[in-house]
Amino acid sequence: MSKTRSFLENIVIVAIVLVLIQTLLEDVAIILGWSRSARESLMLAGFVFDLFFTVEFLSRSYDAFRHRRFSQYLWIERGWIDFLAAVPLLVFNSGPSVIAWYIGGVAVAGSGGMLNVLKVVKAIRIARVLRLLRVLKIFRRIKNADSVMAQRHLATISAMVVTVFVFTLLLLSLAGAAVTLPTLDQTYQRQVSAAIEHIEQEQLAAAGNEAELARFVETHPGIISVEQGGSVRYARYDQAYLNENFRPTDYTVLEQGTTEIFVDLTPINREQAANNARYFVIIVAIILVLMLVYSPHFALTVSDPIHVMRRGLAEKNYRLEVRVPRQYRDDDVYRLANEYNRVYLPMKDREAAGEESSGTSSLTMGDVKDLFE
Amino acid sequence: MNSESEKADAFVQRLLQNPALNGFSALQQEEQILQFLHGNAAQLAPTLSSSQFFPGKNWNQIFAVLVSSLTRAIDRTLFADLQQILTERIDYTFLELLGQQRVNQEALSKELLLVMKKLLQKQEARRGFTGPYTALHFAITDQYVDEIFTRKSYIHFELTKVQRLRMGKEEVQNFIQTNLLLKPAVFLISAGGQSQQDRATGMVQNQFAEKVLGVLKKELRSMPEQVLQSAVHSSVSFNANRFIEATARLAAILGARGRSYQANVKVDRGADSPDKSWLSTARRNYKFYGFDIKMLDELYKIAAENVW
Repeated sequence: MSKTRSFLENIVIVAIVLVLIQTLLEDVAIILGWSRSARESLMLAGFVFDLFFTVEFLSRSYDAFRHRRFSQYLWIERGWIDFLAAVPLLVFNSGPSVIAWYIGGVAVAGSGGMLNVLKVVKAIRIARVLRLLRVLKIFRRIKNADSVMAQRHLATISAMVVTVFVFTLLLLSLAGAAVTLPTLDQTYQRQVSAAIEHIEQEQLAAAGNEAELARFVETHPGIISVEQGGSVRYARYDQAYLNENFRPTDYTVLEQGTTEIFVDLTPINREQAANNARYFVIIVAIILVLMLVYSPHFALTVSDPIHVMRRGLAEKNYRLEVRVPRQYRDDDVYRLANEYNRVYLPMKDREAAGEESSGTSSLTMGDVKDLFE
Repeated sequence: MNSESEKADAFVQRLLQNPALNGFSALQQEEQILQFLHGNAAQLAPTLSSSQFFPGKNWNQIFAVLVSSLTRAIDRTLFADLQQILTERIDYTFLELLGQQRVNQEALSKELLLVMKKLLQKQEARRGFTGPYTALHFAITDQYVDEIFTRKSYIHFELTKVQRLRMGKEEVQNFIQTNLLLKPAVFLISAGGQSQQDRATGMVQNQFAEKVLGVLKKELRSMPEQVLQSAVHSSVSFNANRFIEATARLAAILGARGRSYQANVKVDRGADSPDKSWLSTARRNYKFYGFDIKMLDELYKIAAENVW
């Protein structure tokens, strides 16, 4: 590997570690209600990472395409993980978030469109689940086993487990959006829609009804403020508080006739962030178990005995036996190892006996190369 | 650097300093370098016969110069080590327990060193001594005898009850070390440069062993016959003579083990330890090498328990 390529690969590893931290922090920030500026910084960082990984995917794809190995990159070298962990996130998650932040606007819809607004918001949130696939990107770069076979098996199992987990979540979330289920989203939406209808029917937003409007809205914490004809009829928080704590994705505006109602989306965001954090922890736990428990088990029962037998077959002076654990002695690999220990090594020993020059020296021509230069 | 000898010395020194040879005894290093020269002759010959090294010489001549230089270099280390083993490590008081009147340690060690120097002039004796010397150099004997005396099993019974050695652990260690030192004595007699050893196993016939014993007695007059007999018998197959001494049988196994021993070797994950692996293979080849299978079984258990 060239120095430049090695340097770039190291940068990618650092970026993956950072993006995993950023992913978790972004959810933690929502759950703990960190300030708007802190959450915006994390959101912008997420956008930069998504852009970075999209560029990385495109660069790798271009390079693979140039060398006529795009298919190998995409399927065998798991380029599809690079794609899923970058492009959809940029398009459906961080991209729209940054645009909303940049223009400082919010989605506006009639009360009948509340469902549509929530679906858009929800689609963005669901896409965030794909970020969890990035765990695989770093896992792929950790060479925790010497054997190429062990690494490949482990990477395949991890990719399958994490991908199935993430896509099941994604499908369940999409199905939840299509089917009416008693989720927090649905309940919250129903309550807010009913409150808006009540405000409209009772003309609570009309001038002179401020006291009654305030009494009613106090019992509905989902409503931040009510405006009619450009003038504020009710405001739960002052403007400074709103500026400091509410990002465009934290609220939406619903129009009903001449009435504009600002609805708080943070409870839904918080629950989604909590779910994401749970999923993240579950995936990290699965990966850690695979790395720390399954990987050594695979090495012990498959790749290590094969490695010892291969050396014994290839190297004249290598005479170490394969260690056969009692509990695995009936495994195919260990039955083979037993034959190797019992038959092959003694035969090899007898063959080599007395042949002084038959052994392979530990010295090689490389050891004296400089003498001849 | 002008003379051929100096060039050869520099080349050999360079090889000896290679880290790949760490963990080998001096005679093992010699074997490794000889194997290297044999194995890479085709590549080495054109370069070494150039004007820079040994101009006008063919490979056989170059090889002879290099081997001579190698032998000199190895002898310096080997004899210094043997001197140390003979004078500082081996305590000959065990000879008194074998009925010897009074042992002059200094005179005995000098006598032994002289015999060793004479023996090790022969290439076949050097090859035959590689295993025993490595076992001595790395004190393989001591760790096994310690365990044998702790377990008090078959080998202990054979040493103390069958061979009737009325001595302690340290004395038995010294006995076996002396046995290992004298194991290449079978090379005292050779006909036309050909030894009487079986090329594969290193074993000799009973009758030949008795001849060697006669010669050895004359060479080492101050050494009790019991020790000399055990040393010679360590090159006789247990299949051929079921009455050979326990010390001889044990020295035969430990000497053979020394041949492929390497200190501080890194064991691959998934592989058994070096001694355990070697003893396991030796158990399956015990008839071929003429080892005592029961001794191998006990040593195997010791190696397995201690992860040697």
